[in-house]
Amino acid sequence: MTTPFSPPLYMQRYQFVIDYVKTYRPKKVIDFGCAECCLLKKLKFHRNGIQLLVGVDINSVVLLKRMHTLAPLISDYLQPSDGPLTIELYQGSVTEREPCTRGFDLVTCVELIEHLELVEVASFSEVVFGYMSPGAVIVSTPNSEFNPLLPGLRGFRNYDHKFEWTRAEFQTWAHNVCRDYGYSVHFTGVGEAVGHWREVGFCTQIAVFQRNFHDSMSNAERLEPSVYRLMYKVVYPSLSDNNIYQRTLVNEVLYEAQHLRQEWLSRMDSSNNAHFCAPPLMHLFQHGAEGGTRDWQPVYQQGGTICVPLACVWSSPRVRALCGSVQRLRQELLEDERVRMSADGTVLNLPAAEEEEEEKEVEEEEDVKAVSVVANSVEEDWDRELGCCGNI
Amino acid sequence: MTGRARARSRGRGRGQEPAAPGAQPSISQEAAKPVMPTPPEGQLVGRGRQKPAPGAMSEEAMMQISAGFQQVKIGERGGRRRDFHDSGVHTRQLMEHVKESKTGVSGTAIELRANFMRLLSRPMWALYQYHVDFKPPMESRRLRSALLFQHEETLGKAHTFDGAILFLPNKLHNTETVLCSETRNGEKVEITVTLTNELPPSSPVCLQFYNILFRRILRILNMQQIGRHYYNPDDPFNIPQHRLTIWPGFVTTILQYESSIMLCTDVSHKVLRSETVLDFMYSLRQQCGDQRFPEACTKELVGLIILTKYNNKTYRIDDIAWDHTPNNTFKKGDTEISFKNYFKTQYGLDITDGNQVLLVSHVKRLGPSGRPPPGPAMLVPEFCYLTGLTDKMRADFNIMKDLASHTRLSPEQREGRINRLISNINRNGDVQNELTTWGLSFENRLLSLNGRVLPSERIIQGGRAYEYNPWTADWAKEMRGLPLISCMSLDNWLMFYTRRNADVAQSLLQTLNKVSGPMGIRMQRAIMIEYEDRQESLLRALQQNVARETQMVVVILPTNRKDKYDCVKKYLCVDCPTPSQCVVSRTISKPQALMTVATKIALQMNCKMGGELWSVEIPLRQLMIVGIDCYHDTSAGKRSIGALVASLNQGMSRWFSKCVLQNRGQEIIDALKGSLQAALKAYLKYNNSLPSRIIVYRDGVGDGMLQSVVDYEVPQIMQSIKTMGQDYEPKLTVVVVKKRISSRFFARIDGKIANPPPGTVIDNEVTRPEWYDFFIVSQAVRFGCVAPTHYNVVYDSSGLKPDHMQRLTYKLCHMYYNWQGIVRVPAPCQYAHKLAFLVGQSIHKEPNMNLDDFLYYL
Repeated sequence: MTTPFSPPLYMQRYQFVIDYVKTYRPKKVIDFGCAECCLLKKLKFHRNGIQLLVGVDINSVVLLKRMHTLAPLISDYLQPSDGPLTIELYQGSVTEREPCTRGFDLVTCVELIEHLELVEVASFSEVVFGYMSPGAVIVSTPNSEFNPLLPGLRGFRNYDHKFEWTRAEFQTWAHNVCRDYGYSVHFTGVGEAVGHWREVGFCTQIAVFQRNFHDSMSNAERLEPSVYRLMYKVVYPSLSDNNIYQRTLVNEVLYEAQHLRQEWLSRMDSSNNAHFCAPPLMHLFQHGAEGGTRDWQPVYQQGGTICVPLACVWSSPRVRALCGSVQRLRQELLEDERVRMSADGTVLNLPAAEEEEEEKEVEEEEDVKAVSVVANSVEEDWDRELGCCGNI
Repeated sequence: MTGRARARSRGRGRGQEPAAPGAQPSISQEAAKPVMPTPPEGQLVGRGRQKPAPGAMSEEAMMQISAGFQQVKIGERGGRRRDFHDSGVHTRQLMEHVKESKTGVSGTAIELRANFMRLLSRPMWALYQYHVDFKPPMESRRLRSALLFQHEETLGKAHTFDGAILFLPNKLHNTETVLCSETRNGEKVEITVTLTNELPPSSPVCLQFYNILFRRILRILNMQQIGRHYYNPDDPFNIPQHRLTIWPGFVTTILQYESSIMLCTDVSHKVLRSETVLDFMYSLRQQCGDQRFPEACTKELVGLIILTKYNNKTYRIDDIAWDHTPNNTFKKGDTEISFKNYFKTQYGLDITDGNQVLLVSHVKRLGPSGRPPPGPAMLVPEFCYLTGLTDKMRADFNIMKDLASHTRLSPEQREGRINRLISNINRNGDVQNELTTWGLSFENRLLSLNGRVLPSERIIQGGRAYEYNPWTADWAKEMRGLPLISCMSLDNWLMFYTRRNADVAQSLLQTLNKVSGPMGIRMQRAIMIEYEDRQESLLRALQQNVARETQMVVVILPTNRKDKYDCVKKYLCVDCPTPSQCVVSRTISKPQALMTVATKIALQMNCKMGGELWSVEIPLRQLMIVGIDCYHDTSAGKRSIGALVASLNQGMSRWFSKCVLQNRGQEIIDALKGSLQAALKAYLKYNNSLPSRIIVYRDGVGDGMLQSVVDYEVPQIMQSIKTMGQDYEPKLTVVVVKKRISSRFFARIDGKIANPPPGTVIDNEVTRPEWYDFFIVSQAVRFGCVAPTHYNVVYDSSGLKPDHMQRLTYKLCHMYYNWQGIVRVPAPCQYAHKLAFLVGQSIHKEPNMNLDDFLYYL
């Protein structure tokens, strides 16, 4: 079935969820009926603070097929994000109670309920709104009033649809859910007809439910799944992982320090005077975090070491973005063995001279181990050898 | 810098011809292939990298086993898929004398281990291929698979299905099974599953299946695919100074080897950079100023491979669209959208710099289902990460040292890494699950096999013969004080130097004089010429002073900047053919090393003028050895360069060399045909007869190009020989030489895991049954793991025994005059490589034919 919408209707539905996430910034999101994981893949890019992204589908084959598209990209490792993100995929049914699905901020059921038998819809409502009771629920489903406008459509829009509701039917169900489980709802949709056909409503009708009471579950500890089957789990690299944070910070600091050292060395080189320290290009710099102005501490040499004051490194915006204060920076660096610091933690020490490529003539008199015999000094003649063979 | 040092610091050939520029903005998300050049471990300083093989299997196709089988069909239908393992090239069966056995006998046996693991399957294992029919026919593939797998209890857990063809590791009860399924809305569907094929474990489809399965295993072990290989992102190593990140990983292939199906796996490293092209542009602009920025930017960036932030795709930068910014629009569907908006809506990515210019990549990969390529891709610098090393980094000794410390593994470390992978495979439950459902497993240890160490050769020099230390495979010490085979006296030669280097020039001259005596070189005092440290004045000095009777020109260069070196070589190889020797002043500035350096320079100068240094015994007469290699030029319109070097005498001490520039669309061998004829004529002139045996060593054959060598090059070579006379029918052998292979061998020496000694030959177990092939470890390495060289005799009418072939090959590895030791490949290949490199890097023109008889390019 081709829909006359641009962008296509399914994209508009995903965009609706993305826009919702952007506005309400839920931390934990679960998508029921995630199938090919398209929505999850989109949400992974449009994170807006999502920390846990869960997909559930009853069909494990599609999950297995597509789950690796949710793996972190190479760039996620090269530039870890600030916030954590875990993605999990489960095989399971929305009509089953699964303890680890409780305490979510948002549940999305995009084009899901029409695939359930009407009796299942009741248990779906009970499980999602009664048992899981998330902060918000987005439910989308076809609006059957729109069907006459779809060219060539007879019956339901999909062979697997068990029902397609009118706006009134959908709203009745929604209002009942609100009454039973303490939610409030508003209705909207995507895909509008033009002209006087507008009155049939959206092609896809959407209900957005908000929970009316405060829930204590959201901070509860995550449980192991007991009913659902975990198919895939991936933890994205992020700066909230201490090892990654430490590594990223140290890399950034060393990059900065090496550059300052290089700059200083080339300045020395051009002035050709090791004792004269040229004033650096930036004379002073404002030190916002510590309030007040401090004298610029230049890079200097002490014997075989180039000393880069921590304050110089701290002036790099990238370092600042990673580390809240210069104290924290010092603390982090003192703990790391890749960084050589002065005892008081104010100066980074780097070697002054690069090691030169030495083409050393190694004059080692190794014991000659007998691995092979030297070819016999008897002259060989392969031509004759071959000739003989040929004659026989 | 001496020539050899230059060869070491060389860049790589970034292959691929560019398509015509003219950017038609279009984002092609589907297109672009993984073409990242993988720096293999220990080769980070690369010597002439082959161009990344185009047309790698799409990552998508590898996502899933069933998807993988579509590739089988695509491969059969359109031949789009490239066979990187050159399977299906059956050359051995055409050579009568090696049908029975292709193993040699010389040398002493040595026990080795190789980086191979046997793939084990239960007895009588086979893959069963079924055809699946649906009645009524079902349109959606997803639905078809859902309906079929309602019968998992009949079909079993392990299956792969692409919508029509089903593969199972077990045979179903009947050849035809009829199953009934029901769709959710009650429609009854009859499914007929018919056995069409029973594939034995070594059938091509099975081999492909194993490889897909193994890739899946690596993914379960959380490895990231980059190009054709898999890397571990969780254990990176950083070089912060240049924002480099190095991922350790593995190169793997499963193939039918001599007696069993095995997994070959080697350690590989991927260099990534956490610096975007935009970062790079900023710092470049800061360095060179707004004026020179566009030029510098094009020079630095074009040809680099970048990785996009929003997917794992890699692109080669072909051009920069100076008139495009992210605010420009492109057509997506029927609507125009700006790059800025596209990335915001599609990936939630914000462009911080709206004025950055866009990058252009000419995507050559066909669109989905064989449609023409979707046109050039426009890329936003901010979302592109640089990959690989720049030439500047390669030249930086400290970076390379840091890199080497992590990527250059000792035999013990390398074996350890591979063993760790084996134990991970065996420990991981998911992996074991995957394997057992298919009835497969891997032997949990490395393959043990026997090799032979060939006897070391006697080096003959000036009527005397000596032996070398077989472990170091080097005779620099032994040859000290011995006269060379033949020496050219230096009566009329020039030395150019800058004022600053006047002193070092003098001391070089004195030392040369001192060292040349014992070698037997008579040396007159050079004419000393001072030049100003500018390229033009150097060229002028050459033009004014180099005369017809000048035998040798020595130029002392103040730095290792390439332009002056190029200028000297261009003038003296093309316009005014004269042997020349460039030396970087730093090399000769250390007095303690001067003797060694001067000795090497004297030897090199002697070779360049036609002198001969040493020889080994070659027990075949009327033999001509030919070496062929090519170089893929980055400038000069990306032309490839082919070089052919052929022996002229019995002692393999005189060589005829020819270099040709390949025209677009021309096979390298077409251009080299004339060179082979010229070589035969030169042989005739020197020996008054044509050779009765010709052995061609062909280097520079990329993965998957073997078939074309066999089908096209060999007949071309024969044709070219035929032109020397109708009744001239020499015996011909063609050997394909491969340096970049992933096979590794470990020996146990004094209870420690070590490299096999030089001269180790392996001709069983890990060779291929359909080829006449063998491995030789000819060189010695001081650090890291030695890389064996693979020799594949694709054509042989010589009747030479495999043992002779192996020993002759090893002997030829002794004959490279720029290294007083054994090298990795036969000398003619190394010479051809050196020549092609010089022309490709510096000269860009065919050298003057007056130089053909000399090793002027050393």
